[in-house]
Amino acid sequence: MTQEATTAKATFPSVDWFNAVKEIVNNDPNFRRIGTCDAEMGVKIPDLGKYYKITFEAFEVGDIAEVDEAVAEDTDFWLEMPYARWKEMIQNIKDNARADLHHTLNTIDLEDPEGFARSNDGYRRDAFYRFNQTFQYFFDITYMIETTFV
Amino acid sequence: MADTIATDIPADLAQVAQEKGIPLDVVRRGLALGFPPDVVKTQLNMPGVTAEAAEQFISEQERIRAGGEITIPPELAELAHAKGWPDDLLIRALKLGAPVAMMINQINAGITPEQAAGFIATQEALRGGEGGALQLDLSWMKVPTEWGVRVRAGKHGLTVGGINVGTYADIPDYWPYQTEMPRGAYPIPGVPSMGYSIFEKAELWSDNSADLYEEAIQRRWAPSTDIPWDTLEDLPSDVEKAFCQLSTALCEKALVVGDVIGRWLPEMSYGYHEVKLYLSTAEFDCARQFEVFRKRAFSNGGGMAVQSPGYLHRAIIDCRFWTEASSVMFILHNSFIMGLYEIGLATAHNRAEYRIFSLCQQDISRQLAYGVDHLKYFLSRHIERRQEVNHFLNKAEAVFSYEWTKDTPLREALMILLGGGTEPSQMATGAARLEYFWGRWVNAYADRLKSATLGDRREKLHPSLRKYAELPAAAAA
Repeated sequence: MTQEATTAKATFPSVDWFNAVKEIVNNDPNFRRIGTCDAEMGVKIPDLGKYYKITFEAFEVGDIAEVDEAVAEDTDFWLEMPYARWKEMIQNIKDNARADLHHTLNTIDLEDPEGFARSNDGYRRDAFYRFNQTFQYFFDITYMIETTFV
Repeated sequence: MADTIATDIPADLAQVAQEKGIPLDVVRRGLALGFPPDVVKTQLNMPGVTAEAAEQFISEQERIRAGGEITIPPELAELAHAKGWPDDLLIRALKLGAPVAMMINQINAGITPEQAAGFIATQEALRGGEGGALQLDLSWMKVPTEWGVRVRAGKHGLTVGGINVGTYADIPDYWPYQTEMPRGAYPIPGVPSMGYSIFEKAELWSDNSADLYEEAIQRRWAPSTDIPWDTLEDLPSDVEKAFCQLSTALCEKALVVGDVIGRWLPEMSYGYHEVKLYLSTAEFDCARQFEVFRKRAFSNGGGMAVQSPGYLHRAIIDCRFWTEASSVMFILHNSFIMGLYEIGLATAHNRAEYRIFSLCQQDISRQLAYGVDHLKYFLSRHIERRQEVNHFLNKAEAVFSYEWTKDTPLREALMILLGGGTEPSQMATGAARLEYFWGRWVNAYADRLKSATLGDRREKLHPSLRKYAELPAAAAA
């Protein structure tokens, strides 16, 4: 987390918001230093009917797209929770400049009997663990974005 | 002497010659006789070397090369005869230009005639060409392997998987060599067997090995500096003791997995280096797991706690077949370890503990990925052995379950961590939460086996695990 100033304004959820995150991490040497990551991550916000697919390739975030639900689920794993909880997580990150220990991807997943990180395949779901530092960094960096909520 | 005059003198050698007052012409004549510049330079730097001595030495060498008789100086002959050195060996050494003083020193130092003969033969072979020039074999340069390979780095850099191109991408189903020859090299006859026992690709291969190796190298971390140790804080005594019990168990399990990988690596033939490379990093990951949990135990007022019963460890060590060892250790055992890490994350008291468990998750999930992908590959080639896989998993799950009933320290420690203390209400909470986390890892274990194409094993699980599994019928309801 080397950059200090807010660098973008965007509304969550939107492709613009995810692209703003992508722009920051792809120019952040600390993100690259975490190591290579190849994974497809879905994002599901069922109560808004919003679904996204984010591709991580080598040392960068690649394609980001708004997709339908089936495509979001045709990934290594997808992150799914109601909009209010997404908002709470992102706000917590903003308030602390990173997620506190109750709002990391891991802890949210552990507290949800259904799981926050879900998959149709046990092997592919393990990507959530294999690259957890990358995914957490991706969301932690959102503290730099001036996020508005729908 | 025209050739002699034409010989170039390296600048550093010319400088030494000038400093010692040796005429450059004498140096040129020495080089023309085939003495390497470094050897000439060393000789010139020896104490007592004068222009007269150098001239005498070179003249004698030129006389010998011209067919002149070689005479053995009396002082050398007397000593050599006393030490059993034959004249012909002395003559061969003198013909090579060995200084008499040096030969006397070597004989006095205890060099035997046999040792000298070997060295002299090597030097003669090197100077066997006309005029004393080095004569190289170079037939090895005509090796019939694929040549001209020029792989470019991609987005991931120049990776182990990326250089598998052309014939080097051919990874045979059976590796026919019993030596340490790298895949793609040209074999020579007569190399002794290295004692490998795994030559069939299906018995060790996973398609993700090369990527896992790169991933492990890229995503490495250091417990000494990557954990914010200064965020540790005093915990209630019973909670600290519980954490140290968990740390002790994880240290022990890391050592066992490391030992088992180390025991199997020398069995794996060189044809499948991607697997050997990845497993070498997995072994390092085990060392790091041991390191970080030992450091945690010793950094907050605690220490090592009680050892585990070890029944499952013995079962893993006793596996006689790598696919069995890999499946039991990397899928069953490590699914359980992942469950322990989840408990560690859920109960982390500070950033240090959280980071320890989340980084360890990355490492252990690569082992899970290898285990699942290898079992999948094995089953794709040996579908007839599916029953055998279920059989050894039955056995391992039974041993695991027995171990769990006997491992009271770990069981109680987890309940204390999950409940926050040893008060009855806390223990009740801890016991309930432990059931929840037990269900998580058991189902993740079953999901991984399903990914490995073993089918849904939930109904086949050992009864002590099956009660936590979401059986298909129950899930549908």
